[in-house]
Amino acid sequence: MDDRAVPGREPRARIPTQDPACAPERPVREGGYAPIRGYAAIGDGRTVALVARDGAIDWLCVPVLDSPSVFGALLDAERGGCFGLCPRVSFRVGRRYLPGTNVLETTFVTDGGVVRVVDVMTLGGPGLTPFRELVRRVEGVSGRVLLGWRVEPRFGYAGAATRVERRGGVVVATSGVGALAVQCWDTEAAVMDGGVIVGSVEVRAGESALVALGIAHQEPLVFSSREQVEGRIDATTRAWAGWSGACVYDGRWRDAVVRSALVLKLLVHAPSGAVAAAATTSLPEEIGGERNWDYRYCWVRDSAFTMGVLLGLGCAAEARAYFWWLMHASQLTHPRLRVLYSLSGGAHTPERVLRLHGYRASRPVRVGNAAGGQLQLDTYGELLQTAWLYAAGGNRLDRDIARQIAGMADLVCRIWRRPDAGIWEVRSRPEHFTQSKMMCWVALDRACDLAERRLIPAGGARRWRQEAELIRDFVETRCFSAAKQSYIRHAGSEELDASLLLGVLLGYGDPAAERWAGTIDAVRRELQDGLFVRRYTGEDGLGGSEGAFLTCSFWLAEALAVSGRVDEAVALMDRLVGLANDVGLYAEEIDPATGAFLGNFPQGLSHLALISAALAIADATAP
Amino acid sequence: MSVWGAIAGGFAGTVVLTTALRAGNQLNLTRMDLPFLLGTAFTSDRTHAKALGYLLHFLVGLAFALIYYAIFLAIGRSGWWLGAVFGLAHGLFAGTALVNTLLPLIHPRMGTRSTAAPTVALLEPPGFLMLNYGPQTPLVSIAAHIAYGALVGGFTSLAR
Repeated sequence: MDDRAVPGREPRARIPTQDPACAPERPVREGGYAPIRGYAAIGDGRTVALVARDGAIDWLCVPVLDSPSVFGALLDAERGGCFGLCPRVSFRVGRRYLPGTNVLETTFVTDGGVVRVVDVMTLGGPGLTPFRELVRRVEGVSGRVLLGWRVEPRFGYAGAATRVERRGGVVVATSGVGALAVQCWDTEAAVMDGGVIVGSVEVRAGESALVALGIAHQEPLVFSSREQVEGRIDATTRAWAGWSGACVYDGRWRDAVVRSALVLKLLVHAPSGAVAAAATTSLPEEIGGERNWDYRYCWVRDSAFTMGVLLGLGCAAEARAYFWWLMHASQLTHPRLRVLYSLSGGAHTPERVLRLHGYRASRPVRVGNAAGGQLQLDTYGELLQTAWLYAAGGNRLDRDIARQIAGMADLVCRIWRRPDAGIWEVRSRPEHFTQSKMMCWVALDRACDLAERRLIPAGGARRWRQEAELIRDFVETRCFSAAKQSYIRHAGSEELDASLLLGVLLGYGDPAAERWAGTIDAVRRELQDGLFVRRYTGEDGLGGSEGAFLTCSFWLAEALAVSGRVDEAVALMDRLVGLANDVGLYAEEIDPATGAFLGNFPQGLSHLALISAALAIADATAP
Repeated sequence: MSVWGAIAGGFAGTVVLTTALRAGNQLNLTRMDLPFLLGTAFTSDRTHAKALGYLLHFLVGLAFALIYYAIFLAIGRSGWWLGAVFGLAHGLFAGTALVNTLLPLIHPRMGTRSTAAPTVALLEPPGFLMLNYGPQTPLVSIAAHIAYGALVGGFTSLAR
């Protein structure tokens, strides 16, 4: 049994489960911060909340994912604000998602009894519903358990003035055009304590209670009855289960793949079809370090994987919406691509620093992303591959989009000779990154193929073919190390980069070629440490270090599969799937020494890479 | 004032409005494409949507010209400048209520601020003043609507 528990941000429980990064003897929170590995995500297709194992919701941005936070204890345990809910006595914790859903169920076990908390962001429904709604249902399982709850709303990344008052019997917090109503049923009445709303609830076996946050933005609050809220919980559960039940993958890692698909669905911005890279900003790649970035944007870099995965899982509607959004968003900068776009399609993503403490003092806390203005040549390859996959999936490319694609191929012919920042967005001087050149080749190769099939204008096809050959010459003569028998990070270097694996995954050359076998071996030899694969060796213009990039491990598994080494791929995947947290989620990186998660969470690319590797292995083993 | 003048002005104004928006599109000033938005309310085939959208846009342009004409009649005045003022009001209305608020409500493929998972919209909502389609969108849209209004007002006052 564990620490005394107080709802909110105090350390209060130890993790008694199989979770290797949270051994029972370690405190759950350090300085008020829960391990990143300890979070689960719930959401509604517009925003995402992160729930810690001790029941505290430490992250929620409203009205949409890239809006300022109302609960930001993740980035400032003291001032950020949170929604705590847990037993008043010491407890142990078990968690799961309700099968096939993004509805979280946390079971608290105390000496006096067992209680479940179901956390859900409802999806709306018939009738008048709140603009956004976060509901926590407390269900008595056995014995009798007293729980306390505490809502500490801090709008505007804890920078906006918040007023808490009672209106018509309901406690309401307001800040500018944002408002939040706390409604509770079968609990003690909510009490205002300064800027905090607190309450308690005692449940016995078979009893239940509800605490619901109705959230409004630029409109009046909507108050609901308990029956309406209960109805929305059930409808939301059914909607998620219905959606995940349609995923067509039925292979060896179905649970992990379906969970990853559900995570991706959380990151899909339902109003537009854009897919955010992650749900958070500024979770550090190194505790106390400066590598803290805002990932609540849509990266063109991820587009080919996203399209491949959506089509591979049978999510045709999502694939189509994503492609329409991508082509629409990139229209403003056509034929050039920005590295990333905002979820509403904006090309302008200025970076600024917030005055927050940072996750375990990891500063700066950034919002916005300055990488948006970099030149990353690989994005053209990924976008052309996305269009190619979209067309291969039986979808039409209309005349405007076809012209857009052809225009990008023309642009690639003009700019591929330039050095760039590469897929990893280094802030050191631009280089001739091998992966960027390979993706330029992929761009022109796909454009030629689409032109041959008369899906895009063929006027520039001859030039595209010629330039593609020049790119191949450049890569094969200047980006290959005879000493390492491997492609190298950039022309003239002897460094390695795991992103080279994308070449074989996206069809640069023959996967069975010796050069690819040598490159895969070199990556394993020089970048792999056990299960973990570092991104690269060499300079990147940033201080400090980082953990192992989980995506690279999945890329390696997929590369092994497509190059015919299926047994090695399966063995690696079996172990990688075990690296997820207790509810099947991955962050961007992992600390090889401790297994602790690092970086933004949950990370779409990690889950995309997992699904993509699982699909590739399924293809490779299909009879 | 003549209703035929208003109709002629509506036609000419819609040609200019559509052309201005398309030019803004090609100059990378805005991702706004009114015919496309209108057409996709009826079909998800992008090519057909644009053709249908142009037709609908002209019909809507003529309908608005008749509304302008009714107001000109009611106040007993018309002219280029008055038409331009109407166009300014029309552009603001389009950006704040018509396209931003009303169109997403009736458009089956456009997202709204309330669209939630597992639904995915095919078209992103325009946002206030259609700013989601680019920061220059309000300027392009309002300028185009002013030109439209001026033409409707001018043609109406010229025709006897």
